[in-house]
Amino acid sequence: MKKKIIPIFLGFSLLFIPVLASGQNLLIKNGTILTVTKGTIPRGDILIINGIIKKIGENIEAPEGVKTVDASGKYVVAGIIDSHTHIAITAGNESSEAITPEVSVRDVLNAEDTAIYTALSGGVTMVHTMHGSGNPIGGQNIVLKMKWGLSAEEMIVHEAYRTLKFALGENPKQSNFFTATPRYPQSRMGVNAIIRRELLKAKNYKEQWDRYLKAKKSKKSAKNLIPPRKNLRMEALADLLRGKMLARCHSYRADETLEFINLSKEFGFKIACFEHASEAFKIAKELAEEGIGTSVFLDSWAYKIEAYEGIAYSAGFCTKKGVLVSINSDSSERIRRLFNDAAKSMKYGGLTEEEALKLVTINPAIQLGVEKIAGSLEVGKHGDIAIFNEHPMSAYTRCDMTIIEGKIYFDRAQYLKEREEEEKKKAEKEKKKKGEKK
Amino acid sequence: MKTKKFLVLFYFFLAFLILVSSSSTYAGSVYAIVNCKVVPVASSAIDKGVIIIRDGLIVSLGPSEKIVIPEDAEVIEAEGLIAYPGLIDAHTNLFLELPKEEPAQRQRGMAPQEKETGRYSDLTVFKLLKPKKTTIGSYHKIGVTTVLVAPKKGIFAGQSVLLNLNGEKAEAMVVKNSVALQINFTRARGVYPATVMGTMALLRQSFLDAKHYHSHKSLYASSSKGIKRPEYDPFLEALVPFILERKPIIFTCNNQEDIKRALRLIDEFKLNGFLSGANEAWRVADYLKKTPLFVSLHFKPPITSIYVNKGEELKEKAEKEIYPANASNLYKSGIRFALTSYGLTKASDYLKNIQKAIKAGLPKEEALKAVTIHPAQFLGVNNIMGSLSEGKIANVILTSGEIFEEKTRVKRIFVDGVMFKIKKPPEKVKAPALNLAGKWEGTVISPMGELDVTMELEQEENEILGTITSNFGIWEISDGILSGNDLTFTISATIMGESIDMEFSGKAEEDLIEGTFSFSSGSAEIRVTRVPTSGF
Repeated sequence: MKKKIIPIFLGFSLLFIPVLASGQNLLIKNGTILTVTKGTIPRGDILIINGIIKKIGENIEAPEGVKTVDASGKYVVAGIIDSHTHIAITAGNESSEAITPEVSVRDVLNAEDTAIYTALSGGVTMVHTMHGSGNPIGGQNIVLKMKWGLSAEEMIVHEAYRTLKFALGENPKQSNFFTATPRYPQSRMGVNAIIRRELLKAKNYKEQWDRYLKAKKSKKSAKNLIPPRKNLRMEALADLLRGKMLARCHSYRADETLEFINLSKEFGFKIACFEHASEAFKIAKELAEEGIGTSVFLDSWAYKIEAYEGIAYSAGFCTKKGVLVSINSDSSERIRRLFNDAAKSMKYGGLTEEEALKLVTINPAIQLGVEKIAGSLEVGKHGDIAIFNEHPMSAYTRCDMTIIEGKIYFDRAQYLKEREEEEKKKAEKEKKKKGEKK
Repeated sequence: MKTKKFLVLFYFFLAFLILVSSSSTYAGSVYAIVNCKVVPVASSAIDKGVIIIRDGLIVSLGPSEKIVIPEDAEVIEAEGLIAYPGLIDAHTNLFLELPKEEPAQRQRGMAPQEKETGRYSDLTVFKLLKPKKTTIGSYHKIGVTTVLVAPKKGIFAGQSVLLNLNGEKAEAMVVKNSVALQINFTRARGVYPATVMGTMALLRQSFLDAKHYHSHKSLYASSSKGIKRPEYDPFLEALVPFILERKPIIFTCNNQEDIKRALRLIDEFKLNGFLSGANEAWRVADYLKKTPLFVSLHFKPPITSIYVNKGEELKEKAEKEIYPANASNLYKSGIRFALTSYGLTKASDYLKNIQKAIKAGLPKEEALKAVTIHPAQFLGVNNIMGSLSEGKIANVILTSGEIFEEKTRVKRIFVDGVMFKIKKPPEKVKAPALNLAGKWEGTVISPMGELDVTMELEQEENEILGTITSNFGIWEISDGILSGNDLTFTISATIMGESIDMEFSGKAEEDLIEGTFSFSSGSAEIRVTRVPTSGF
């Protein structure tokens, strides 16, 4: 039901949010502040000036003209970050080919996807929205802030890593298994082989350019030197090899995950994170050693063959082994309750409240390369904040307010009021219509 | 095979028709349009003026007392009428007949290749033109003398052509060929690119390739010694002038993100880019100060729009109020634009929607400029059209009142100095007795044999629209009127590459339409029955 209600009642007034420059001033008073990285302040204030956190402490006075939000009895937390989702884009997979690193979701952003608002309602301030997992080498992903009502351009987080989606296992191998034109690869060995083949090509391509640039620089350079053809497909992979882009790899099984790590060593590229990684607990030691994170569901498993051995304990277990774990939504529904999923790691895996909260705040921030601006409440970071009525790791909690760079984008009380008014108006209209008919 | 034999006979029959039905036009006449108000657009209006047309050009124009009427001129008394420059519709797909293409297929077991589709940049749309009299008539009726015909299929759709609607001969209509390269943010099915993100990558790659190809070729031309000969590539060959010599590229933008996509490409590759469609342009007005805009008069919000996804009420408001205000909002933001019929299915909606745009706040003078001088400037033809002055092409319309008023009708239209009278709309139209919308099937019985046809009809009050499909292809119905049970319409049938006009007149009942097609040399009977719609 919820899914249906949300688009209808998003509120007509919300539609016409005036386009303001982001970066506003706000003072949040008297909340229990969970800074994530610097402990808890039982009753404290946060001052945001021009979108940046200026002060965190007790008894902060509001400078003149600065709006104040009273958070008495509430929990003030760093905005939740979703390390892996597919919202706010109008295309998922460039499924026509198996290897498409030249495409980027940057070109298909949709600032009017109502899932952005759904995300806000779950305290989510930032997402990594990704190419799908249909292709062994998919496309380039992007990090967005959920600035509902602003343009796609204003949502892009330029500080984040450039990332490229890879996918192993069932999805790339079956992605058009049942269509008229099945394509290579159709097995796990094929997936590995095709990625390796393309990386070899990219290596050659990169070396070709290096040779050209070197020849161009040298004094004896030939007058008639023709630059190699710029190939965007190879260029993207070359950027991966140059370290300018990081791999994000959809991977379920431990064996193929290890194979991909071997590939990264062979070609010298960096993996930021494995996606879903349901067998991560089997290779936690290796992941920790390599400094590769995982972005997972907390307690979803057995929904397909390669997820049979998934366990709810994996996130907690891996965290304790030193792996950087984040909980992702992968969807526009789960995105509104990531905090619930994180909290489950306390029951399954025995994490503390602080550790559990990190799974949806600072950990994904580190995975996305934005830990300097987000992921925790610290002076100098962006004022991206979620306010909960109870501790966010409580089963009874809900998000009351979501703030990005000092601007309130979601206010539950306000929203409910608008919804009620909208319903009233509608009811009156119906009544009037019926009256006219009579 | 009965049908085969029949087809042969029918072809003979039709070939005969073609011979007798072709007509010629004469452009050498001299006309003096007298006693009308003249609105030249680029200069001030003349209350009582004269326009002299000779050999397709305006030779003189001015107040009645100052202009001498040549002896050999046919005098057109136009008291009470107003003369305007012929309107320019800068984005249409008129007269285009596209060959059906087999869907691209990848063979089972084949390794993926860098297969790409939608690249027709070497295609000049002129080759596809099949002018139709009825279409020309419907454009004359709304005062349009000039149209930009843009190809519509594929990503690199091809090169557009500017036509004066002066007759039925494509060659004689051409004002300017290869006006611009039309690019659509469309995608392919089954082959690369299957998504718009793939399309963007393909566009970027192609632009880069054109640059590379050009630099390699130039280097080779300057000293071919010691340089590998570049491989000839017709696609890139056609693309180079648009990427390196700043020939115009028109991007069809169906939503605000398309506009931003186009602007990114224009910026990245320093293109001479124009935007067309753009019915959401006001939403991204801040980005649009510099780029020439051909704004569509199509007022339906695109499916990605928030106005579509928030329930019926808002959608209706969007169509009736928000999108019609696009032009007016652009005007208020200080943006210059042309208005086009792109996306409209009926020619008559062009004027209706201009009226709606005016109602939504667009000043009338600005609306007039947007269909005359602005498109002429954007297309680089303002020295020959877009306003009335001496030496310009005689594209002139005479209207019964101020243009864009609801009751105003175009009375006469001069295109390249050729005069056309506008058929009066049927006067006594009765309320339609029934609704003919739906699918029909039946037979055409001619002296030469029978032809199976299916008809798909749409009805809007008295107006009937639709198509007739047979072995010969799909023919469009125009000027369809249902008055009581009396149905009349015309079709421009294309048979063996020639177009033949046929007029239908007959009776319609709930499940049966019967009547006669008449053409210049004979007639045929038609009888179709309604195809029941399934209950599901």
